[in-house]
Amino acid sequence: MGADQKYTLTDSETSTAVQGPVGRLPPTPRQHLSSVGTRATLRIQHRLLTAAREYLCNEGFVELLQPIIGPVTDPGTRGSKQVDIDYYGHRYKLMTSGILYKQGALLGFEKIFYIGLNVRLEPPHTVSTSRHLAEFHQIDIEIAGASRAEAMRVASGVVSHAVLRVVEELPEELAGLGRDLAALSGGVAEDFDEISHHEAIELLRKLDRPHSAESEIDWECEELLSRTAQRPFFIVDYPRGCRGFYDRESRTEDGVLRNFDLIAPEGYGELASGSEREFEYRRLIERMRETGENPAKYSWYLEIARGGIPPSAGCGIGVERLTRYVAGLQEIWQASAFPKIPGVPSP
Amino acid sequence: MSSLQAPGLPEEDIRARARTGAAAAFPPVAGYGHTLYGPPTGSGGYKDPLQELRIVPPALMPRRLEKLVALGREPLHTDVALGVSIGGFASPLPIFLPAFGSSQAVGPDLATSLASQAGRLGIPMVIGENVVPVHGYGHSDASGQRSLLRRLEAYVESMDEDAGGIVVQQSTEDADAEVWNLLYSEAVTAPLLAGGRLAFELKIGQGAKPGLGGMTVLDGDGAQRLEGQYAIDELSTVGPPRHLRYSSPGTVTAEILGHQIRQMRNNYPLCRIWVKLPPTRDVEEAATVAWDAGADAVTVDGAEGGTGWAPRAFLEQVGLPLAECLRRIGEHPASLCVTGGMWEGTRALKCLALGATAIGLGRAALIAVDEDAEQGLCRLVECLELELRLLISALGKYAPDELDPEDLWLPSAAAAWPGQMTGFGVA
Repeated sequence: MGADQKYTLTDSETSTAVQGPVGRLPPTPRQHLSSVGTRATLRIQHRLLTAAREYLCNEGFVELLQPIIGPVTDPGTRGSKQVDIDYYGHRYKLMTSGILYKQGALLGFEKIFYIGLNVRLEPPHTVSTSRHLAEFHQIDIEIAGASRAEAMRVASGVVSHAVLRVVEELPEELAGLGRDLAALSGGVAEDFDEISHHEAIELLRKLDRPHSAESEIDWECEELLSRTAQRPFFIVDYPRGCRGFYDRESRTEDGVLRNFDLIAPEGYGELASGSEREFEYRRLIERMRETGENPAKYSWYLEIARGGIPPSAGCGIGVERLTRYVAGLQEIWQASAFPKIPGVPSP
Repeated sequence: MSSLQAPGLPEEDIRARARTGAAAAFPPVAGYGHTLYGPPTGSGGYKDPLQELRIVPPALMPRRLEKLVALGREPLHTDVALGVSIGGFASPLPIFLPAFGSSQAVGPDLATSLASQAGRLGIPMVIGENVVPVHGYGHSDASGQRSLLRRLEAYVESMDEDAGGIVVQQSTEDADAEVWNLLYSEAVTAPLLAGGRLAFELKIGQGAKPGLGGMTVLDGDGAQRLEGQYAIDELSTVGPPRHLRYSSPGTVTAEILGHQIRQMRNNYPLCRIWVKLPPTRDVEEAATVAWDAGADAVTVDGAEGGTGWAPRAFLEQVGLPLAECLRRIGEHPASLCVTGGMWEGTRALKCLALGATAIGLGRAALIAVDEDAEQGLCRLVECLELELRLLISALGKYAPDELDPEDLWLPSAAAAWPGQMTGFGVA
């Protein structure tokens, strides 16, 4: 059963659900919060989070608390805006991701994670993707000295463990939401496949959806690829130019990033992004320039980098996206108690 | 002052420096706000090659015959089709409105008047990197008529249904204010995005001061507001305090430029990407990097380009003439927009014949709206359009892309190579 096939709104919900220009928007907060579907979804989310913590703590990770404001944050891509706040007369930002702090935190610990809140004012048209929220949470993981393969192993470990815990412990909630348990548990029964960005572009060409080999895979194509899969899979080796400056470029293949996305099957799309990181001062400066960033903004981070930060790899797993996939929800906002929808004034 | 003299040296200039120090590197600050600076004519032995070129029609016109056959009557200048695609935007004329060095020089109403007339004409309009830091973005600040959003609104409100588009620059320092990200989610730009009529322009430099970033003269309050974000210098040693805001020109290499363009294409898939280059010695290489990375348009501002403010040394002695930029670039795969001293038909035609896709009206557009706020730009363009039609048809051609260097004659080149019909063929 896929993302487009169902969503169990109650009658009262459907009566007030708004048909937006491109997708369904939430009912009133009261209806949303008191619906059986939301309660089941948030219970599943709760178990996903505790399971992720179990897995990571067993692997020796230390949970740290992510700062929510800073002079600079992840510059982001694809037109998402940052939120400025006045910090005693200085312009500060709300976190769009904890990446800079994660790298910094490796000065103290080898394996860390945050379950952090992030705010990205995504362009309003992303409401059509069913998987963008302006406020969302990430299980944000970073491992000193790790390769991409190690980060991918941990990402798949967290997802598989969390999915299995929910399948075992919350079958009623899943059944109530109409989730296909066999598809869900079957999805995480084996190792996740891995294809390169280049192979993904080839696959899209065969599916009659030609796509630029130089750019990020667009939302529709990502969904299409997701729909063709039976279990989560990785796309690796994105081209330089479609990710932030911190995704490390291959030292043997020009223009290829040592990064990955984890894509859910059944049309649910991206669950996580990760990479090996750039960590050398000069490389960071050069990559910042390529992304149009002003290095002067990043002074605290660059100062740390100049003194040396460990090479690392890590990833961020979207909590609401993982919830959407596991609970089988049509829209990402269904995975949040108080969803902030791009372009829509929300509670 | 003593009676000491130094024949052969510009004594007055030296004495001025001795009196005012670094301020003498710039034009008199008193002229700021109502002077549109550009290269002084005839200075430093500089001769504009575009001025030297003559337009030379042939007597035998096979293309006119083709037009005659197509029309079934003798073609006239009114049959010239001037519509072109400029950097991904349809435009009824090979003309666009480039970013202005300093819109301080026009009153607040004139900034929106320009935008409104450009929208009416259906020609693309570029909004400069200096607008947000100096005049504000336009949401919650009291930035008034010259802010970015007011200009956008003025353009969109009068916009031609099928033609035109808006191009917005962002300086390296503005990246902090995320001008492009803000616009990408803005209600005002939604119709532009939906119609593929919004572009972002990466400004690498400008004609009047290649190698330097933007410069704006500010009063004491303005300087205080921007302190910390920009480099600010005290400018005047006499009169009220005036300050100079420098924006960084940004560091580019071929690799950085290419990747920055690819990143822009990736981040703003609904936008066109333009790149503005100064008249540098490697203009051909830089333009090629930009086009190869997928830029929809490259704008080259020749050394004749105007500016709000620049050191005199740069106005007088730095940068390639536009004609030489065009010669170096030669054949190209996407739009090439050029600026620098444009206002009438012959200069525009020469640029089109040398490979430009469109020409930009900079200082001339400002003077036109200063003359008549409501209609000045439209009338200036009307006159230019007529001249272009007359000139192109006189060459026996009926579209700008039919023009080529054979339509031009360079006297000095002909003298150097007797018998060569055109001295300005692309090498």
